[in-house]
Amino acid sequence: MELEHVHKIALIGFFGATVFGAIASRTQFCTMGAISDWINMGSLTRFRVWFLAMGFALIVTQILYLTGSIDLGESIYHTTSFTWLGYIVGGLLFGIGMTIASGCGQRTVVRLGGGNLKSLIVLLVMGLTAYMTLRGILSIARLSINEPTTWQLSDAGLASQGLHDILSRLTGLSPSTGAIILTAVIGGAAIVFALLDRQVWSRIDNLLAGIGIGMLIGGAWYTTGVIGFDDFDPIQLEGVSFISPVGNTISYLMTFTGATINFGIAIVLGTLFGSFAYSLMTGNFRIESFSDTSDLINHVVGAVLMGFGGVLALGCTIGQGITGMSTLALSSSLALGSIILGSVFTLKVQYNLLDDMGFWKAVRATAIEMSGRKSSEG
Amino acid sequence: MTDTTKLLDARKLNCPLPILKAKKTINGMQSGETLKILATDPGSVRDFEAFANQTGHKLLESTASGSEFHFVLEKS
Repeated sequence: MELEHVHKIALIGFFGATVFGAIASRTQFCTMGAISDWINMGSLTRFRVWFLAMGFALIVTQILYLTGSIDLGESIYHTTSFTWLGYIVGGLLFGIGMTIASGCGQRTVVRLGGGNLKSLIVLLVMGLTAYMTLRGILSIARLSINEPTTWQLSDAGLASQGLHDILSRLTGLSPSTGAIILTAVIGGAAIVFALLDRQVWSRIDNLLAGIGIGMLIGGAWYTTGVIGFDDFDPIQLEGVSFISPVGNTISYLMTFTGATINFGIAIVLGTLFGSFAYSLMTGNFRIESFSDTSDLINHVVGAVLMGFGGVLALGCTIGQGITGMSTLALSSSLALGSIILGSVFTLKVQYNLLDDMGFWKAVRATAIEMSGRKSSEG
Repeated sequence: MTDTTKLLDARKLNCPLPILKAKKTINGMQSGETLKILATDPGSVRDFEAFANQTGHKLLESTASGSEFHFVLEKS
């Protein structure tokens, strides 16, 4: 039996994602954890590992683009419709959500593979919310935010929202030259920043997480853009993301007999399988459940915020943070900055709440602290 | 036998709550006092090792018992 084109791409995606899931499980690759280490301990090591992944993904992706192997203009990241408010609001909500739900979309999938049943609830609620935001009732809210605030970058003579096109428009350099300069500067800075820490380059797990995950995300572009290229049977050029694909996975599993798998669904299922297999093989698979009602509420609220915010921001810490950044999309910087800000704010609120102050008092104290002002209450 | 003066039960809590609670508790302790932490989050093993390395508190114990992890930190 010969596989159809879409099934072949999905199968490659599944195997690649299995490796991704195993690496993420072994190395505890976690964006929220990286931000927590930075804010709560003053340790930047995991943050540097994350930047190592982003740097490698960026370089691989831009080599594919510059050699003409893929056309990033076909991806969702290079649209000329710049929904700036959506990227900011969505990113902030996603950052808050991933912090109270104990991890982003990718981490939730990996944790579920390790037996964490909290993550099962988070995944289901996040996926359903994402689907409702894409195609259901919450799309009304999404459009209400995006439609009045969209900037059409083509009106300013831009071919895309890629930073290389913006640089080209501003300086007169060709887009390719702009891409080379930006890849060298941003990719190089990310990798140098990562390798300045001895903890990063002296530990095999940190190198495996940074280089392995970065290369796999770059490889996703190769899979859908080069192996998947077919004039007669086109498939969407895409990288790795964990919000809309989780919603699509739920829909696919519910309508299996009348549905066709796609690359994003294969990535979710492969990551889950890789984490599950790794946990079993290493004896780390363990069932975990909620501690009490407030634990359940926190995770459900976090899942809703991630599902809605992730679609509004056009991606998560992986979808915008690494995949989107690898395309040099302007929206990715904005969404990633907002995700980090939302997470930092929430971590500080959580810390202040341990002082038994009320929720709003903790929010106010955090806002005062982050704005650099001194509290009038001392 | 460690002279443990405080106990923090962080079982069934996921990242970042065990570290947040440990940080808050240890901030209110005297130098040399010890804090025993109970946790179930597998990520807490790496987290408490990193926490000790970064903050200078001494990680006197890091053990697994079934599905639980036990840590003892001595405040620097």
